Amino acid sequence: MSGHEHHISSDKLLLGVGGALLLLTIVTVGVHYLALPSPWSIIVAMIVAVFKGTLVALFFMNLYWDEKFNLMILISAFVFLALLVLLTLIDTLFREIPVPSF
Amino acid sequence: MANKTSTHAHPKHLYHHFIDSEQQFSAAKMGMWIFLGTEILMFGGLFAAYIIYRAWYPELFTMASHELNTIWGAVNTVVLIGSSLTVAMAIKSAQLNQKRNIAINLGITIALACVFMVIKYFEYTHKFHLGIYPGEFYTFDGIEHPKANIFFSLYYLMTGLHGIHVTIGIGLMSWLLWRSLKGDYDSEYYTPVEITGLYWHLVDIIWIFLFPLFYLID
Repeated sequence: MSGHEHHISSDKLLLGVGGALLLLTIVTVGVHYLALPSPWSIIVAMIVAVFKGTLVALFFMNLYWDEKFNLMILISAFVFLALLVLLTLIDTLFREIPVPSF
Repeated sequence: MANKTSTHAHPKHLYHHFIDSEQQFSAAKMGMWIFLGTEILMFGGLFAAYIIYRAWYPELFTMASHELNTIWGAVNTVVLIGSSLTVAMAIKSAQLNQKRNIAINLGITIALACVFMVIKYFEYTHKFHLGIYPGEFYTFDGIEHPKANIFFSLYYLMTGLHGIHVTIGIGLMSWLLWRSLKGDYDSEYYTPVEITGLYWHLVDIIWIFLFPLFYLID
């Protein structure tokens, strides 16, 4: 509980972050129309999405200035999501008959 | 209001089991973050399903994605980013005691959220006309793949759950707008604006991921 002051974002910062998100949206759509070879298209799209999501979390959701505990809650949610995905993929990627009938 | 002398020592919004407004604000925010953690895990189950099916049928995702309109998906991304910006502006207005700007920014947020849902409505109805329904109701024959319905089951589940969240968000924002017009929020107390804002930003982040995963496959 570090005092009574809440962080107040300036218009400049908020508009800057909004502008960056808009720019990154244009970039990701532009890259889509470039039709990069197979793995790179999704890699670039996901890097841009993670970057956009991080901007929103840090500066719109104020995690950058907030108590670190809230950041820990967010990160732990993603850690458990990664566990879910990885443990499931260990099964589904290495089956004898890879694709099920459903 | 009736008892002016006690308002300073004990503000109207402060519940008796909190030490002060600051502690109440932090507790509310932490509670919201824990809820958002559960939201990530709820959507996470669907994202996990998406990853598994995309690993199984990579060619299906490429083919089926062409039925989605990239431009409308991009427009909706911009609309949601704009609405996140106005929510952040509403919170800043509350912190600076600019009561009228809280209502204006919340109003713009609601309008943008409605634009998002209207675009989603036209996207959905266009697909329904083609016979693109989820699961066993799928009757479209424009995609040469026996499992084409799986892509659209995931599409409807994930964008549908997201759309429900946007709709709930519109309801919450309308309630905030009504209360801000009554003058309930100022720099001393704006907790509901802050934590609804957190919810709204998460809904925005989820769309930031849904957009490339469904619309930007080539």
